[in-house]
Amino acid sequence: MKKVILIFCVLSLLIFIRPALGLNTNSSSANSGTAVSTTQVDDSGDSVFEGAFKGIKTFYSYTGFANATSGNLIMIIIGIVFIYLGIKYDYEPLLLIPIGTGVILGNIPFVAGNQTGIYETGSVLNYLYFGVVKGIYPPLIFLGIGAMTDFSSLIANPKLMLLGAAAQIGVFATFLGALYLGFNLPEAGAIGIIGGADGPTAIFLSSKLANGVNILADGTVVKNLIGPIAIAAYSYMALVPVIQPPLMRLLISKEDRKIRMKPPRAVTQKEKMIFPVVALLLTTFISPSALPLLGMLFFGNLLKESGRTERLADTARTKLIDIVTILLGVTVGASTQADIFITKDSLLIFGLGAISFVIATCGGLLFAKFMNRFLKGDNKINPLIGAAGVSAVPDSARVVHHEGLKSDPSNYLLMHAMAPNVSGVIGSAIAAGIILSFLG
Amino acid sequence: MTVLPLFTDQISEGYVILITGLLIVFSALVTLALFFNFGLPVLLYVYKIITKRKDKKISEIKVEADRDFTGEIAAAIGAAVHMYLDQQHDHESAILTIKQVKKPYSPWSSKIYGTQNRL
Repeated sequence: MKKVILIFCVLSLLIFIRPALGLNTNSSSANSGTAVSTTQVDDSGDSVFEGAFKGIKTFYSYTGFANATSGNLIMIIIGIVFIYLGIKYDYEPLLLIPIGTGVILGNIPFVAGNQTGIYETGSVLNYLYFGVVKGIYPPLIFLGIGAMTDFSSLIANPKLMLLGAAAQIGVFATFLGALYLGFNLPEAGAIGIIGGADGPTAIFLSSKLANGVNILADGTVVKNLIGPIAIAAYSYMALVPVIQPPLMRLLISKEDRKIRMKPPRAVTQKEKMIFPVVALLLTTFISPSALPLLGMLFFGNLLKESGRTERLADTARTKLIDIVTILLGVTVGASTQADIFITKDSLLIFGLGAISFVIATCGGLLFAKFMNRFLKGDNKINPLIGAAGVSAVPDSARVVHHEGLKSDPSNYLLMHAMAPNVSGVIGSAIAAGIILSFLG
Repeated sequence: MTVLPLFTDQISEGYVILITGLLIVFSALVTLALFFNFGLPVLLYVYKIITKRKDKKISEIKVEADRDFTGEIAAAIGAAVHMYLDQQHDHESAILTIKQVKKPYSPWSSKIYGTQNRL
């Protein structure tokens, strides 16, 4: 308290000294000046105060208090809620805390033209945002994911790969829905990929299609939807444990939920090494536009499985992915600047995102039931693992596991669910490549 | 009126993308699945022929060099390791419990620049 009073006293002293200094300068100018300046001398005391007041006024006009809009305040509160959710409820804190901080950073009100905002060329945030706009961060994240992922359950049971493809129905259904709601083709494509439940893929595709730079055939510029799409994708990924279980209970009967799958066979190291190379060749030959994503994914996996590059794999799955996640989270959060983010489009995107997750989950579950008709006895699959076909690694696999345990406490589905889970990643990257090659 | 055909055009193109996209995604993952179901065993078999060496299973690996290594020896080693690890905490460094008191140097507390001994 004492310090506050002291600081206040010093400040007021400085303000009282200023007129004295100001008077001197003014009178000296009056001596050498014209009649106009002499009139200034007459009311110089007032003018100095006026000047000081004006200075404070201009300063005030530069502060956040003067420029704050209700949109900014709403977004800042949302940012704080994100941080709170991340800390208190442990909902994907590694994502929500950077994004929440980014939302606050991006919505601090400022005067345009001083290279502060993320959308002003030359600002620091703009340089960091470059990695998002040009789609640099997502492939680096995929490199780390590849170096983390164990594809052995997929190699042991390749038919589960189809579940990952079935869940991509969500992508294309949302794409159609967005078209019906009046979005352009590229924008709709970028919105659809939310159904892929894969944050990096969604950012990659939206940075290519709905980046606010591309010009459409009819001369209009596409909207910048990277912020809303990324936020929608990540927040629904965090909500997978809420969205999926009711759908599972709705679509899968109690007996089906109890199906036990035989344990996956042991996979040799040779197969694990061959997998990334062959999968890289096959998938990128089919969908070359997905090259940055799939190339990095399988490259990271090869680093892990080759057994010779443990150091590189270790860096990719720990330090590198952490660095990129920090930059990606903060800049994606900051891209939600209120005047660009709070629009009707963002609301529509959030609605479509929820629907796409529902459709993707249903697609996976129903396709798993469909597959079960052709499988006999031991080979039957538990339809619950179809829900893991939406990527959201590894949350959806974990949700499947928990649901399985609820109906049969000794039925462990985690390993089986990882197979459609990782094939969902591959599937959504391929889908992104296809959409990009159609609309890019 | 001019907007309407454009609108329906977009929707129809959307359906084209929907169908082809789904087909391609499925076909890509089906080829992957087929390859790993049928192609990979062939590949591994060919590799085996090229290298002309059978992959050894664990049961086939014979332990000849370690014939003298009996269960008793293993038990003895195991017991020794166990005892060693068990006793290890007895030899902990005693310094751990005593923290060195840090006295950062400051001219205010200096013994050199006192009033008694002028430089």
